[in-house]
Amino acid sequence: MPGQKKVRVYSLSTCPTCKRVKKFLSDNNIKFENIEVDLLDSGEQWVASKELRKYNPEATYPTVVVEEVICGYDEELLKKVIEIK
Amino acid sequence: MTPEKLYEILDKYAKSRGIELNKDKDFVLDILAGLLKNEERYGYRSCPCRLATGIQWKDSDIICPCKYAEPDIKEYGSCYCGLYVSKEWNEGSIKRVVVPERRKQT
Repeated sequence: MPGQKKVRVYSLSTCPTCKRVKKFLSDNNIKFENIEVDLLDSGEQWVASKELRKYNPEATYPTVVVEEVICGYDEELLKKVIEIK
Repeated sequence: MTPEKLYEILDKYAKSRGIELNKDKDFVLDILAGLLKNEERYGYRSCPCRLATGIQWKDSDIICPCKYAEPDIKEYGSCYCGLYVSKEWNEGSIKRVVVPERRKQT
């Protein structure tokens, strides 16, 4: 659906602060992709860490990424999402 | 060892160093469970809020208490993961902030 936000959480299975963030999202009925980086195998871990650094160069946890997907040329939605006055 | 047992040990340790464990006991027990999980899988208590490599010499600075705990507690009243805090932090007399990562990226 255009304009729908996608939420992704980079987390560690051992980190209580990560658990708090995920509980907050669940309590507010927010669907999210949960990437527990410490539970990935080394190859996947390398890829996930590299991806995480695009958003958070320090690669700290938790990191919550909120993305909005806009398809086609929808000026109104572009203005709203990118906050163009 | 159980998180509860480790709690008793670290509570004494913290007091001996003039600091305290975070007064949110459930949160602390969660951290300690993370430490014990890391000890089980890596053989050492790597910080539960940082990604370990599993190679001890590479992770030596984040073995709890991590190398950054003292300067973090001095500056922010809390260590990075929130296990060790100052008396003032527990009392709420200083502002609670997200402690930034002091560790240099490798």
